[in-house]
Amino acid sequence: MTTLDNGTNSTPAPTLPAKPAVSMFAIGTAIGAILLTIITAISVGFSLGEIISNFGRKNSVVEGLLNPDWGQIWSRRSRSAFIETLQLAVLGTATGATVALPLALWSTTFGNPNRALRTLVRSFNNVIRSIPDLLWALLFVTAVGIGALSGLLALFFFSIAVTTKLTSDTLDGIDMGPIEAANASGASLTQMLRSAVVPQILPSYTSFVLYNFELNLRASAVLGLVGAGGIGARIEFFRGRGDWEKLWGLIVMFFLVVFIVERISVTLRRRLI
Amino acid sequence: MIRFSKANVTYPNGVSAMKDLDLEIDDGEFVVIVGLSGAGKSTLIRAVNGLVPLTSGELNVNGNDVHSLNRTGLRELRSDVGMIFQGFNLVDRTTVLKNVLMGRLHKVPTWRTLIGKYPQADIDIAARALERVEIIEKTYTRASDLSGGQRQRVGIARALAQEPSIILADEPVASLDPPTSHVVMRYLQQISRELGITTIVNLHFLDLATAYADRIIGLRDGVLVFDGPGSKCDEAVFESIYGRSLTADDTMAKQAAL
Repeated sequence: MTTLDNGTNSTPAPTLPAKPAVSMFAIGTAIGAILLTIITAISVGFSLGEIISNFGRKNSVVEGLLNPDWGQIWSRRSRSAFIETLQLAVLGTATGATVALPLALWSTTFGNPNRALRTLVRSFNNVIRSIPDLLWALLFVTAVGIGALSGLLALFFFSIAVTTKLTSDTLDGIDMGPIEAANASGASLTQMLRSAVVPQILPSYTSFVLYNFELNLRASAVLGLVGAGGIGARIEFFRGRGDWEKLWGLIVMFFLVVFIVERISVTLRRRLI
Repeated sequence: MIRFSKANVTYPNGVSAMKDLDLEIDDGEFVVIVGLSGAGKSTLIRAVNGLVPLTSGELNVNGNDVHSLNRTGLRELRSDVGMIFQGFNLVDRTTVLKNVLMGRLHKVPTWRTLIGKYPQADIDIAARALERVEIIEKTYTRASDLSGGQRQRVGIARALAQEPSIILADEPVASLDPPTSHVVMRYLQQISRELGITTIVNLHFLDLATAYADRIIGLRDGVLVFDGPGSKCDEAVFESIYGRSLTADDTMAKQAAL
């Protein structure tokens, strides 16, 4: 019987090249990260024992959680606050995402051949992105007063930041062929973007807008805490009064709404891509 | 008419892809440019519609000095020059019709492009272009659902929809199999003859070049080394264009037989 020489056992194993040294940089970074965590934990006074003993103590917030006021779900005032939240999220997403599309297109080299203008658009996008949603809300509450308008403006800018960033990343990976074809046929810049670029990113863009809507819905709960309208204002109201049962009832309702909207959104987005 | 005089193209990386080119192409001619890859075929074709600017010399296309055209002038020139690409350059996610309508952009107002509502007259022109390359039944099919040969026919229809006086085809059959290549070449030849469109085609298969060209131009390292009718182009001429003896890779028939 003949055996096939498969090179694994009959011949001596080939000598591998010298193993590269373990990167000292990686080891240093890992040790540094662990040390930093320990130091910060000590300096903020973190203590596991305290957390456990606090939970054991009689706590009206936790008691409220065990006994939420389901009546909040049917209360008229809570319902109108919810509707305001949904309206804020829809309007903020629609307006913000509409502005985000041209901003994303104008921040690319093919969509904005003028270097100075491109830098301007990119800087604008970066500035908007670096401000968190709650800070936008605070700014507008100070500027235009307490109410839903501040919330809407905050979500508008927050949506611009999110959708522009996600869309720009998609634009980096598109097929440049159709762009060359449109330019070779004598199309203007706007026509080229509309006919050669937008069809390529439209499914992703729509998905980002839906995702942005989910984010806005959640953000609108917090915006109310600083006086920017919506369900947050009502959460803040119950919190101020120490009405924990009602507060938890409201949060359960909020959870249900967010859960349902998210399921719908995720299903739609899956069909898009 | 297309006229190069003492035209040079040097890329920023120092590569010289066109050297002192003197060339005249008359209206309605069907010209095939041959040469090895890197010989400057793409550069020559892209110079005609201003996608690649000349470094020095002159280029006149239909009475326009390409070098002196501003942005608007260049767009006007490009609207009169259809282009066909090796990789088809179609928008895969959209329909065949929308792809062909891209050829009408220069005539359609921007606001109509934005809302995607093209005038009926332009849709009619697109339909005629699709009919000419016999793919009208695929009008509402997504480009991604077509075969390679069908895609290139859509590419031809898009160029035709411009109602151009010149068509440039950059390696239009390099991504196709031999039978499909002949189909595409026949469409190009037929369109040139019937509509009187000046056509410049880059090819690297010699048998395809001699089969379809009225006139063959040979390039080597950016220099014009042959210019004559397809019938005068024999193996010796090709060997001088390529600067080496021919191999099976140089002809489609022999390569297909491998």
